[in-house]
Amino acid sequence: MEGANDNLRKELLAKLYQYGGHSQVVGITGPPGIGKSTLIGNMSSLIIKSGKKVAILAIDASSPYTGGSLLGNRIRMQDQLWENKIYMRSLANRGSKGGLADSALGSVIILDSAGYDYIIIETVGSGQADLDIMNLADTTVLVLAPGLGDQIQAIKAGIMEIADIFVMNKMDREGAYFAMKDIEDTLSLDENKEFRREVIGSTITKSESYLELINAIGRHREFLDRAGQMGKKRLDFALRWVLEDELKEKLIDPIIAKIHSNPKNASLKENIYQEVDFIIDSLDIRGLLKKI
Amino acid sequence: MVDGKNQLLFKDKPIKILLAKPGIDGHDRGILVLAKAFRDAGMEVLYAGLLPTPEEVVDTAVNEDVDVIALSLLNGAHMTVFRKVAQIMESRNIDDISLVGGGTIPDEDKPELEKMKITGNYGPGTPLSVIIDHVTMRAIEARERKLR
Repeated sequence: MEGANDNLRKELLAKLYQYGGHSQVVGITGPPGIGKSTLIGNMSSLIIKSGKKVAILAIDASSPYTGGSLLGNRIRMQDQLWENKIYMRSLANRGSKGGLADSALGSVIILDSAGYDYIIIETVGSGQADLDIMNLADTTVLVLAPGLGDQIQAIKAGIMEIADIFVMNKMDREGAYFAMKDIEDTLSLDENKEFRREVIGSTITKSESYLELINAIGRHREFLDRAGQMGKKRLDFALRWVLEDELKEKLIDPIIAKIHSNPKNASLKENIYQEVDFIIDSLDIRGLLKKI
Repeated sequence: MVDGKNQLLFKDKPIKILLAKPGIDGHDRGILVLAKAFRDAGMEVLYAGLLPTPEEVVDTAVNEDVDVIALSLLNGAHMTVFRKVAQIMESRNIDDISLVGGGTIPDEDKPELEKMKITGNYGPGTPLSVIIDHVTMRAIEARERKLR
């Protein structure tokens, strides 16, 4: 995406961004094979039946060898999609780390401007440190299943910290109630008194369990509205994203080109830090910051 | 793309393809082999699962903005069902998604399918590389129409 196309993209997103801000972006994350896609399918059809509008973005991994991807999320939910005419788009992460795709923010801006009540984002089946979703989603839901680990796993840093709602999926499995209790014990030590994080048990054999999750998402929305936090993280994320994009184009790329154009920098091995420091100093960043 | 090359260097949008068996046909061994082959050829692959209707296939292709729909049937209903897919595409003025076919398709049916712009129509035993080359060619056509 370069040149004219890139400018058109920026212009469109900037325009659409003004019409957004109404959707609650719900991030669904969790390990691969835990049931995220199935859960989203079932949850979305209940949301549609309650008269709200929902769109789904599902992200899958690209191959580091070929760049190819098997976008398998859709197949788990497509009966519900077809039945309820739900918009869903599969994205390959195309090498971006952190569980999202580079185009995720742009996609959210477009869907938000289209007036959806909920935008559900399914991350790549994630590990403990795929945390980008917390910057994009208003509400982050972590899906777990029995048999993933004991209390120590439940107090680990990373993904357990960023979730606003926990789901213990596959509640029909053995050990589910103990696993749920491990999480509840941890959450009871939460310091945030404004919003109590909770664990929802869900299973495909009981569709009421998905209603409970929808209600929990609604309670988190109420909290966000009360605290004035709705959409705030996304604004920061958008700001950072746009800034990094522009800085790269207008500052970093030209500086690199400049360094390369100087023949004495043919081999930078020795003085790469010096050279960069020199450029930064001569740019007078501090003076610039004062002007803003 | 060369094996092991970091995909961050791959700037272009990969080809996006939807595989579908629109009809009463549950024999999906072949299409799953193709799904993996397309993935390994660097494409982004969607599979519509078993028993979708032609309408559902076209809806999915539009929502996902694919370049190619690859239809496969082994049950002999291709003249009916493939035609239906092509008709829906035509009635909705969709010209930036290419159609390719495959399965057990007799030679005498192929010219008529070609007329509906359903190309390829490869049968069992076709080397994967032949199919991948054909799909790539059709995807480039579709991509050019998208960017027009």
